[in-house]
Amino acid sequence: MLEIKPIINALLRSKVGAVLLLIQIAITTAIVSNAAFIINDRINYLNQPTGYEEENIFKFNVMTFGTGVDLIQQIELDEDRIRQLPGVVDAVQISAIPLSGGGSSTSFRLKPVPEKSKSVNASYFETDEHGLNTLGVNLIAGRNFTQEEVVINRDFTKYPNVALATKALMDELYPDGDGLGKTIYTGDKPLTIVGIIGMMKGPWMKLEERKDKSVIIPMLDPSKLHQFLVRTESGRRAEVMTQIEDLMHESYDKRVIQDLTGLDKKKADYVAEDLLMMRMLVILISVLVLVTALGIFGLTLFNINKRTKQIGTRRALGARKSAIIKYFVVENSLICIAGLVLGVCGAVFLGQQLMAHYSVPALSYWYVAVTAVAVFAMSLLAVIGPAKRAANIAPSIATRTI
Amino acid sequence: MLKMNNISKVYQTEMVQTHALRDFNLNVEEGEFIAVTGPSGSGKTTFLNIAGMLEPFSSGEYLLDGIDVGKLNDNQRADLRNQKIGFIFQGFNLIPDLNLYENVEVPLRYRGIKAAERKRRIEQCLEQVGLASRAKHLPQQLSGGQQQRVAIARALAGEPRFLLADEPTGNLDSLMARQVMELLEQINRDGATIVMVTHDAELARRAPRNIQVVDGQLADFTLYQGKPNVAVGA
Repeated sequence: MLEIKPIINALLRSKVGAVLLLIQIAITTAIVSNAAFIINDRINYLNQPTGYEEENIFKFNVMTFGTGVDLIQQIELDEDRIRQLPGVVDAVQISAIPLSGGGSSTSFRLKPVPEKSKSVNASYFETDEHGLNTLGVNLIAGRNFTQEEVVINRDFTKYPNVALATKALMDELYPDGDGLGKTIYTGDKPLTIVGIIGMMKGPWMKLEERKDKSVIIPMLDPSKLHQFLVRTESGRRAEVMTQIEDLMHESYDKRVIQDLTGLDKKKADYVAEDLLMMRMLVILISVLVLVTALGIFGLTLFNINKRTKQIGTRRALGARKSAIIKYFVVENSLICIAGLVLGVCGAVFLGQQLMAHYSVPALSYWYVAVTAVAVFAMSLLAVIGPAKRAANIAPSIATRTI
Repeated sequence: MLKMNNISKVYQTEMVQTHALRDFNLNVEEGEFIAVTGPSGSGKTTFLNIAGMLEPFSSGEYLLDGIDVGKLNDNQRADLRNQKIGFIFQGFNLIPDLNLYENVEVPLRYRGIKAAERKRRIEQCLEQVGLASRAKHLPQQLSGGQQQRVAIARALAGEPRFLLADEPTGNLDSLMARQVMELLEQINRDGATIVMVTHDAELARRAPRNIQVVDGQLADFTLYQGKPNVAVGA
């Protein structure tokens, strides 16, 4: 016997506390389902595969202030010396660092400018034939470019005619999957794709349209500030990193080594804001759920204190303890269900607003459903203690004058 | 109907032991109307609570309709209360958020009676107390006397064989008190056994049998005979 009708009637006659709780449950459901969805979206973003052994790769910048040094010769010398270090797999000078948030991108086309053609935006890295091995990414078709194909350039008079491209880019340019060996264009400059790379994130992880689309161009175009990327054997990165500064200064000391950092650290810095936002959302959810649980707990306790005599009377009239517990659980469940109905509508509305104004992906209704079930379970847990307390009110309270 | 043998009730705190009832013996026959009187703190309410199974006793034996109450668990006591006893409280104890119909319905719901039967009984009982037309009203919309009549309807709805009334007219003026008393007398004539706790001597005199509780023990009088007919502890 659930007494639903008299409970509803009683709630309708004295509704302030119930309405406040209902609103609290609705707000919690609306916010928690959207926040949980955003958190999961962030977790997927933070954990997306990059294609790199991030813990074995590091980078550093070289700022040369000395004059009279041939930068290209010096870079080749530096690369050789780094590669000689015990524990180093490969090292290379490169124009951009993956996962760092900073790099270059351009449009790659099927036909040269000014012809009309399909065009896809992608990031690009300029490096030599050691780039592929240093990055450690997987070549799934074709070949790497050779040393002879690398263009060493200071004034853009020469431009390479081959390149490597990621599968994501080639699939978009050539949906039939026959891009290997084809020529694509950047502006009016042709590049024949000699190799296709599997997973390889560019410098940006969050720009959906180009995060997986990259091109590696065989070119060295060093300036006084240039950067190296080094891949080490597993577990030997820290040991190698400690030797870099001395090694670089031994061969030429009129330069400064800056930002000697692991790739995982670069990535962590890049995603720090997202991580912070995610943590804030987790705290927000926890506080909201806690406040709602306390609200239910408090309201039920308040109701019990207000209705002590009534509970005693019910017990005197034949209510078992279980009937008293059931009464409060049903009363709370009715409030909770009404709050959840309102909260689910609120969650969908909030999701649509977030999508419209803040580019948040469309809210999955699974999150709303799971949140609603979780809030309902939480409300049951919150009410059961006070309800048991109510059930322990002695029936003899009915005959006392209080 | 109700038989108490050497019932004692001791309230124990860390410092003090209080004997609210001691060696309390009482035999109530079916159809009796008994008024229980006594000074404040004498143990009247404790007797009522034990008789109504609202609290346990410390020692002795209590048989209600032949059932040994001391051997029942909490659920069995709740069920027995619901089936055998109708309560009328001094403060009426109506549930303020429920209308009269729903208030009278409360004990019937705990018994699991079907809706149609509940409706029949509620309407009959409200009719009996003269409040059928006000079934949808809330208790606070009624006078004290009317509220007590609703409480009596609630006590009658379960068709109990035994009515326990705790100062049923204590919160009423004399006119309303007389009306409530006449209603109880009618219910008694219809066959219900009534035990009424009161400190109103005039009201008590209207009951065929009076008992007095003094210091947790019983003095039994039959007032119309003008002298005590049972000694202390009878």
